[in-house]
Amino acid sequence: MPNRYPGIELATRIVMKNLGIELVDMEGASCCPAPGAFGPADLFTWRVLGARNLSIAEKKGVDVLTVCNGCYKTLYEVNQDLKSDPELRERVNEVLRPLGYEYNGTIRVRHIAEYLHRDYGVEKLRGAVKKPLEGIKVAVHYGCHLMRPKLRRELGDSERPHLLEDIIEATGAECVEYKDMMICCGAGGGVRSYDLALSLTLTHTKIKNATEAGADCMVNVCPFCHLQLDRGQAELKEQWGVYYGLPILHYSQLLGLAMGIPPKMLGFEAHYVPVDSFLEKLKGII
Amino acid sequence: MAGVIRCGCMSITQSVVKAEDLDLSFAKTLEQLGIERVLTCMQCGTCTASCPSGRYAAYRTRLVLRKVLLGLREEILSDPDLWLCTTCYNCQERCPRRIDVVDLIIVLRNMAFATGHARERHVQISRFFVETGHLVPINEENMKKRRELGLSEKPPTTHSFPKALEEVKALASYFGFDKIVLGER
Amino acid sequence: MVYWLSPSFSSKGVYELAKKTALFICRCGTNIASVVDIEELVDRFSKREDLVVVEDLHLCGDEGLRKIEEVLRNQEVDRVVVAGCTDRLHGELFKSVVERAGLNPGFLKIANIREQCSWVHWMDSERATEKAASLIEMALEAVEHSSETRKAKVPVVRRVLVIGGGVAGITAATNLADAGFEVYLVEKSGFIGGHMAKWDKLFPTFDCSMCILGPLMSELAHKPNVKILALSEVVEVWGSPGNYFARIRVKPRYVDEEKCDGCDRCLDVCPVEVPDEYNYGIGFRKAIVKPFPEAIPIAPYIDMENCIGCQSCVGICEPQAISFEQREMEIVERFGAIIVATGYKPFDPTPLAEYGYGRYANVITAPELERLIHPGGPTEGVLARPSDGRVPKSVCFIQCVGSRSDRPVSRPYCSRVCCTYAMKEAMQIKMSWPDTQVYIIYIDLRAFGKGHEELYRKAAEAGIVFIRGGVEVQEIPESKNLLLRVEDTLSGRVLEIEAELVVLSVGIDHNPDNEQLASVLRIPLDENGFFSEAHPKLRPSDTVRKGIFVAGTCQGPKDINDTVAHAGLAALRCAAFLSEPEVEVELLSPTYDPSQCHKCLLCVRSCDFQAISYQEGKIAVDDLACAGCGACVSVCPTGALELPYINDAEVFAALEAALKNRNERPLVVGFLCNWCGYAAADNAGVKRIPYPTNIRIIKVPCTARINPLFILKAFSLGADGVAVIGCYENDCHYRGGFRKAKSMVNSVKKLLEAIGLDERRLLIESVSASEGEKFAKLISDFIAQLAELGPLGSELGGGGDERSV
Repeated sequence: MPNRYPGIELATRIVMKNLGIELVDMEGASCCPAPGAFGPADLFTWRVLGARNLSIAEKKGVDVLTVCNGCYKTLYEVNQDLKSDPELRERVNEVLRPLGYEYNGTIRVRHIAEYLHRDYGVEKLRGAVKKPLEGIKVAVHYGCHLMRPKLRRELGDSERPHLLEDIIEATGAECVEYKDMMICCGAGGGVRSYDLALSLTLTHTKIKNATEAGADCMVNVCPFCHLQLDRGQAELKEQWGVYYGLPILHYSQLLGLAMGIPPKMLGFEAHYVPVDSFLEKLKGII
Repeated sequence: MAGVIRCGCMSITQSVVKAEDLDLSFAKTLEQLGIERVLTCMQCGTCTASCPSGRYAAYRTRLVLRKVLLGLREEILSDPDLWLCTTCYNCQERCPRRIDVVDLIIVLRNMAFATGHARERHVQISRFFVETGHLVPINEENMKKRRELGLSEKPPTTHSFPKALEEVKALASYFGFDKIVLGER
Repeated sequence: MVYWLSPSFSSKGVYELAKKTALFICRCGTNIASVVDIEELVDRFSKREDLVVVEDLHLCGDEGLRKIEEVLRNQEVDRVVVAGCTDRLHGELFKSVVERAGLNPGFLKIANIREQCSWVHWMDSERATEKAASLIEMALEAVEHSSETRKAKVPVVRRVLVIGGGVAGITAATNLADAGFEVYLVEKSGFIGGHMAKWDKLFPTFDCSMCILGPLMSELAHKPNVKILALSEVVEVWGSPGNYFARIRVKPRYVDEEKCDGCDRCLDVCPVEVPDEYNYGIGFRKAIVKPFPEAIPIAPYIDMENCIGCQSCVGICEPQAISFEQREMEIVERFGAIIVATGYKPFDPTPLAEYGYGRYANVITAPELERLIHPGGPTEGVLARPSDGRVPKSVCFIQCVGSRSDRPVSRPYCSRVCCTYAMKEAMQIKMSWPDTQVYIIYIDLRAFGKGHEELYRKAAEAGIVFIRGGVEVQEIPESKNLLLRVEDTLSGRVLEIEAELVVLSVGIDHNPDNEQLASVLRIPLDENGFFSEAHPKLRPSDTVRKGIFVAGTCQGPKDINDTVAHAGLAALRCAAFLSEPEVEVELLSPTYDPSQCHKCLLCVRSCDFQAISYQEGKIAVDDLACAGCGACVSVCPTGALELPYINDAEVFAALEAALKNRNERPLVVGFLCNWCGYAAADNAGVKRIPYPTNIRIIKVPCTARINPLFILKAFSLGADGVAVIGCYENDCHYRGGFRKAKSMVNSVKKLLEAIGLDERRLLIESVSASEGEKFAKLISDFIAQLAELGPLGSELGGGGDERSV
């Protein structure tokens, strides 16, 4: 659970509680650490730190659930690498043991979207929706690391997936196709901090295309994408003088609205792009 | 269209390269580090065509591969463009030779870190991690928001558990990683 | 009672004192010699007085063969061992030279020290040399006990079965018919003509396809000695070269071919319209089907799944050819030879989701484009793009779709035709619609055939834009145009092209029916699903089975020119094979000794080919019907049946030799079937995939040939493990052979457990001929496991003394 956008954390906690799913905190966890920013520094250290986080969950005997594509990539892939490579696992454990940790490969790592789609079930999800968001047009943003690389996931095709559409459509909202919809938000791989202008160029492409396709909002499943798409719009306004004002929602927030949770409990205040007009649109529904 | 659009042409500053200056074992080294099939690259350019950064910047994924094959090691590791990959995996998903292109770039960045070629911004992010256990540490504004939302002021992570932070620091120092990022910079 | 242990089998009989064994050791250039120490082998074996040892650089070359013949003629030699490459490669060649020198070819054994030694043990020269010596000793011992090859003259059936009615099958059938042979041409679909009938113009000369194929088809149909069976499939083949039997299933046409005069009026009156699969789903066809006017047979067929039974066709048909009474039937016919010409399937690009085929309306494949620009096609030659029927102002061809790729859904090879057909199609578009801009996005442009380079030049002159690079495709939702992003790798620029139509230049994929047919014909496929030729350069139309030939793209990607040349060669090879009135066949059948037979009839039951029968109190073996798997011999409890071409005694002798010096531990004996197990071991060699040296391989025709006593004997001689490796159950070249072996192995495993041995010492596994990687891993893992188990007998607490068993 990343530090950015505490509203996403809050929305997730409330939504999962209402769905009857208990979340257990991983006390003392560190950053996953972020695959695109930290992996490039040193892959082995990245794995060791990922393994430490996994072993915290192992100690508690619970699977890991992430609301972030980056956390998912790190924890899922480290988990997989260590499960399949006993030699690597031993090297990692050699470092962890003195600190009282050991990775044993006993748990699974899932993304909240995957969990809701595969484990909880789209039908059941539809049943939990109290206020179907009919008439709302959603531009879907997958982010890169949920589905990719597909050969290291079991989530199917990554060129034109349907996982998010399924769980978004369960809320009653409609998904709109837009040009270049699978393009990166622009933030990943450390590009946001290294070359903000380039990263905003990608963001601009995305937001512009989605707006032109008539989307009321863009839904993501990753706080880092969320930041780039949300704050990026403020930056575009500031630096380029272009502004689209497309509200950005994490899936937990969208689902929260559809479940009838009051907007003020979903942390929208923290957004750079105000969601007021969007909520206005929902007036008749929620 | 608004925004920064860079010229796609390459610089022509390079002079003649002597064959003996090429590190022809470079691709093999990378294969040993787990990036399989690098040597089978046929320079089709599917990677560049799929690259969102490549649309707007001079970064050419295919050229990274080409330079790896040629063994232009220094040139790759010191190339500022190496840091323009957003790790979106488009190229890797589509590569007809099934080369793990993004993983290759991450390994190259590891090498750049180890040889002092890492970009200052990247080093800085990693420094945050070593100091706080987070690449994006909590800040005042954030804590305020958490209070307003009725969440605990700090999340139950290294921010709340100083012992956990010590552990993370210990792990980061295990391989001298902290020195790379905290070092003389 | 264990008769093969009697001393008489370990001697050479009356020749023992007089004759020697000739041992030829091949260096194979450096293929063997760079790993195996040939001097050491020569030294070691030259010390034996019963051997004549000769080494050579290339035994398979002219010089080498002459040397063999000379030695055999001039020395007192009665047995021959050749140590060299796998006998699957040059076995027949060496047999023929042995025969020429006046020896029976049954007295030749081959020690495979290349594929199964130097090519897989290159990392350890010393151990490879030791293993080579051991393999040679096994062959030397086995050859002592080998039996004469039995041959019989059988009359050749001067009738040929050609499977597949595309241009390859048509060419082969025409050539053979002209040479006076009777031909059956079996075609699975309703009409002959294959893919070629669908193309408008052909590269590189733009000649009209139907103008050259039409007359050929019609000429063939009128030949008195040719029978065309459409809607038909070959379901079973047995017998032997010169004398094959085939069971052909013929589906009902519901139109009497004799009566129909081809007026096609029934097509006009049929009220049913369904998507036309002949045109890849573009446009519609009727329930009574004939896709083009020149089709052969001239009679249409009725698609019963879609027929509504309105009888409109019956009403209009003057010759009263419609016949709803027709039923499916089976024909069994004898053929001297078989030509396989089953062609290919265009690669299906749907799984390559980044191109959007099936998702974006205006992304089509090149074969679909052919139908669109074909005057006889669904649009009568108008290039109407699918989304709105407009002629596109810009067309982009994307090359290498599904070819040259290691991705799981693609094929690794170059399909050889796409570059040139794309240039041809691009020029056709340019000629008919000069305002349309045409791009060809390629990786490497391969215009290597006669006239192809000239076509490339013409295409460039015509203004076709060639871009060397990779591409991504996105649909622009409003216009349904495609936005292509390409890196022009030559300039390093990223280009954006808005194309109104994208054509995927899909490659040549194997025909998915090949697998089934390969098992019917008992001939191998290569790793890409095409039929394997006997030799890629010298015998490209032959298969490993005599009298069965391959023609055209069923063997690998080819253009029409090469297909016709290949089919012509297949016809010639076939005619040569059938030119003798009689064919000499090597009998693979068992010999039968009635005095030892208790008439338990286990053999009759074990035979999948009805080659052993029990009639009037007597067991009878049908030599020609026998396939030679040896299942009957392994189940015979009394030894009344023996298989001369691989008899029990030679297997026991080879085992003795293999396990005589156990300086390698663990030591494994592998019984590998000729078709898959042994072929996979060869494949590992060809791919140079290393595995430990601790295995001694004995080739059997089928795993069903393995007598349980072979396995017990191996253990009693101290083998730490025995591996039985055969085909996948459903691919068994002798129908139920592997299944039989599996049940035998399971019984032996129980027996091992009963005497206290770990049953994991006996392994049974399936591989296919192309799975060299799997084979190597299997052996490595098995040996690692045995190392963990310890030497044979460890589990008995005897400290691993193998003699305690």
